[in-house]
Amino acid sequence: MRRALARGLTAVVLMIATALFVFPLYYLVVTSLKTKAELFAAVPTLFPQAPTIQPYVSVLFDRGMTQLLVNSIVAGLSATALALVVAFAICYPITRLPLSRRVRVFVLNWSLSLRFLPPIAVVIPYFTIVQAAGLYNQLPAVIFVYALFNLPLSIWLLKGFLEEIPLEIEEAALTDGATRWQAFRRVVLPLSTPGILAAAIVIFAFDWAEFLFAFILTATRDAQTFPVGVQGLVTQFDIIWNDMAAGGVIAILLPLALMLIARRHVMTGLTFGVIREK
Amino acid sequence: MSLQAAVPDGRRPSLAARARTNWGARSRQERLGLRLLLPVFGTVVVVATVPFILAFVRSLTANDGRFVGLENFQRALGNAQLVESVKQTAIYAGIVLPVEILLGLGLALLVHRTVRSPAIRAAIYVAAMIPIVIPQIAVGVVFRLVYAPDYGILNALLGDTGHDQILWLSSPPLAMLSVASVDVWQWTPFVYLIMFAGLQTVPTESVEAAQVDGASSWAQFRHIELSYLRPLLLLVLFFRIADVLRVFDHVYVLTGGGPGATTEFLSLYLYRVAFKFSDLGQASALAVVVMAGMTIFYSVITRFLPAERR
Amino acid sequence: MRYTRLLALLASVALLGGACQQGAPAGGKLTIAAVQGVEDAGLKALAPMYKEKFGVDIQIVESPYGDLFSKLVTGFQANDATFDLVMMDDPWMPKFGTDNSLADLGALGISKDPDVAQVVWDVGTWPPPRGPVPPSEVSKTPALLGVTIVGNVEMFMYRSDLTPTAPATYDDVLANAKAQNKADMAGYIIRGKATNPVVADFLPILWSFGGDVFDENWNVAFDNEKSLAAVKFLVEDLKAVAQADPASTDAGDRDRIMAIGQGYQSSVWPGEINTAVLDPASTTVAGKVGFIPIPAGPSGKGVGMMGNWMLGIPKASKNQQPAADFIKWMLQADTQKTYAQNNGIPSRTSVLKDASLTTANPYFPVLADALQAPPNWRPRTDQWNAVETILGTHLNAALAGQETAQDVVTKASAEIRTLMKGAGYPTQ
Repeated sequence: MRRALARGLTAVVLMIATALFVFPLYYLVVTSLKTKAELFAAVPTLFPQAPTIQPYVSVLFDRGMTQLLVNSIVAGLSATALALVVAFAICYPITRLPLSRRVRVFVLNWSLSLRFLPPIAVVIPYFTIVQAAGLYNQLPAVIFVYALFNLPLSIWLLKGFLEEIPLEIEEAALTDGATRWQAFRRVVLPLSTPGILAAAIVIFAFDWAEFLFAFILTATRDAQTFPVGVQGLVTQFDIIWNDMAAGGVIAILLPLALMLIARRHVMTGLTFGVIREK
Repeated sequence: MSLQAAVPDGRRPSLAARARTNWGARSRQERLGLRLLLPVFGTVVVVATVPFILAFVRSLTANDGRFVGLENFQRALGNAQLVESVKQTAIYAGIVLPVEILLGLGLALLVHRTVRSPAIRAAIYVAAMIPIVIPQIAVGVVFRLVYAPDYGILNALLGDTGHDQILWLSSPPLAMLSVASVDVWQWTPFVYLIMFAGLQTVPTESVEAAQVDGASSWAQFRHIELSYLRPLLLLVLFFRIADVLRVFDHVYVLTGGGPGATTEFLSLYLYRVAFKFSDLGQASALAVVVMAGMTIFYSVITRFLPAERR
Repeated sequence: MRYTRLLALLASVALLGGACQQGAPAGGKLTIAAVQGVEDAGLKALAPMYKEKFGVDIQIVESPYGDLFSKLVTGFQANDATFDLVMMDDPWMPKFGTDNSLADLGALGISKDPDVAQVVWDVGTWPPPRGPVPPSEVSKTPALLGVTIVGNVEMFMYRSDLTPTAPATYDDVLANAKAQNKADMAGYIIRGKATNPVVADFLPILWSFGGDVFDENWNVAFDNEKSLAAVKFLVEDLKAVAQADPASTDAGDRDRIMAIGQGYQSSVWPGEINTAVLDPASTTVAGKVGFIPIPAGPSGKGVGMMGNWMLGIPKASKNQQPAADFIKWMLQADTQKTYAQNNGIPSRTSVLKDASLTTANPYFPVLADALQAPPNWRPRTDQWNAVETILGTHLNAALAGQETAQDVVTKASAEIRTLMKGAGYPTQ
């Protein structure tokens, strides 16, 4: 009896919680399907009177944000690749070679400490560096900064995945006469590939969402990323909330799809590899 | 799901232990490790530290390049608006952190204890991930559409229109709460997921034993589950504090720091000094102060974290 | 093995994509940094026409108001050559002029046509020909650094179907507002969003009351009695009869309120009128709105404020002469007429008074007179953006009920004094 009551109560609580969480997203989608005339209605409605995909067309084509989508994807992929390569070069010695504990702890702690750094504090020096290097408004500058900022995450994620590969397998290859590089390529790399892909997906999602650096380091559509474009739709004079909502929906869809694919590894990514799903 | 954080693996010999067994091989392997690690890690540290140095140098110079010593720091620290900004950030953290943790923990307990179906649990798990992966900017846009007067849906749902509408984004106490609610919306699922993972590791025998002994739900929680959750709670606090102190994107879109300076948190204040006032000297001084503060804060906090043992 | 190849493929796609982003073709193309919204509507319409006529590709890069300013500031600091032409709000120009970021347009062949009101040429000249000049700029020779392409002067709109007589003074404005204020009708729509919006809305009131931000010698005049009276008028009298949430209302929001018939009167920029208030797709008040210059205040005068958007050429641009040619083309009378027909605000008096355009743009003749008046401009200082941020934050706080009028005046004046002194002005 009490069990049933508890279950009933739980169901109610969960339904309310779900409704609260889902509703803002629902309204976002609804707004993205409204015509401009509907936006001028005295009272906003919960359902578009004349649903249209014009806002999406407007955002992607009239406003040219397709270029920004491409930029975001390119920047995300490149930065992820760069971060993972560097992270590998750091994680491999840490996890598979007998370095002193102090070295390991130092590297890991240093990486973790970057999580506390407000990006705004380093934006100006980065801007100065980028400007001096002649890389202002160039995508490579954004890629480089993203790789750097995601390095701590990459290190911790890879460390976790590499630690699960037993040292014995590698040693067996070494005693069989392989060089360390061959052992790496034939044993460690294939075994860690699922981990690499999982890490890549999580890191890409974070790069996708990044706003501040893309905003400061770029000026035109050649190098701007999608979040910068979305923010640009919040204007002074225009009533373009439908376009703004469409931009928001597009910004959400990609990381959502990725996270659903890699859902077993989301928790690992968010907690820097501390909590891992088997 | 399993927890690999604070549990040392006692079964396999550690790297260090192995190293000790073979002196010659240890030196060679260790040297190889250092040869691989130091160039790459060293470069990374240098590259990452250069901006700090630049910010430090810039904080000691005026706009035209002259060395002015601590003048920028005086201006930065003497600014009453900085104090206000820090205060508002602290208030924001004070609202957001307890709510997220209690709510997330509560929901985790609720689902853990009363939902048995694995299908529903899995569905909740996936659903909980959704707010977390949404870009901050998009979240700001989403909630702008909810809270804005005249075209926001909340007031329309409440039947509140015309002159006496509730001003979610312009009335000082409400603006803070509105901005905080966005954070709660986005990150409570994160807390939930971690707490839920933690609850999975509690051995069922202990729980059953307690229930057989007649312990109430609350006692069961306090004495058994809490001890397993404690390291995770600290972890969650660690990550949430780090993020809450850095918050920028969604506040920028939602209130831009207003009304007045109510939601002008630390990052937004820095942005204003750097880009609205174009006072790069003061902004750099602020950046140095903030980074120093964060370093101290981080060292203090990591003492409480479960140590990584190998 | 498969994975390695997949990773390699992804990496090469990424790198290739990155490589393709490099560099824009030089010559035959002009890049304009423009403000997003109603102001660049005319420009966007003209760009394809220019391409057809002269074969030059015009790329317009839009940013919202606040972002555009940051973008230009950082771009000029980076000596960035991305933009050949930049749209600047006239209060920004002093900063760019002081920083020597803009090219001399006179030297590039642009002459001051008398068909354009003199004040338009004056606002584009640095150092300014009248009013206080920043101390560091006094020794510079005046040069034309910007040409107006959106001849905005802030005006006033009211529902002429509800009260056929236009308000002549701000007392009339308040009386009408109180009379018309109802549950679904705001007596006065305050554009009160923080920083630029609220300051733009407030300055005409400030000046009409005889107050000001600075005096002729850069001393702060914001805390004198007349200024205080103006602030009180805004945050007490007008707020009592305003729409629900003045502190969040920006221009788009107030246009919307007007367009759906829920607002009685407000100040307005010409650029907003066609694309927002009278937009045929959504307006219910077409033909019911009257446009007049800013009403008179206790000072006896109504002082309009100009908010011209100018085109300037960054010194770092590699296409200065082609950019200047574009500006010259835009100033031609026939181009201006086409511009006006496409929601642009022309600067030529002859075009503004052209009878064939008046039906579609009823406020053009009013605008022409307002430009001749001449209207006042915002203080010409490189610190204006900071000053505006200070003023705007306090005014917004007062509209949100956080500060009193006296607070606004005292605090803002103190902060502005500190700021200006720190920047080397002889401010007291």
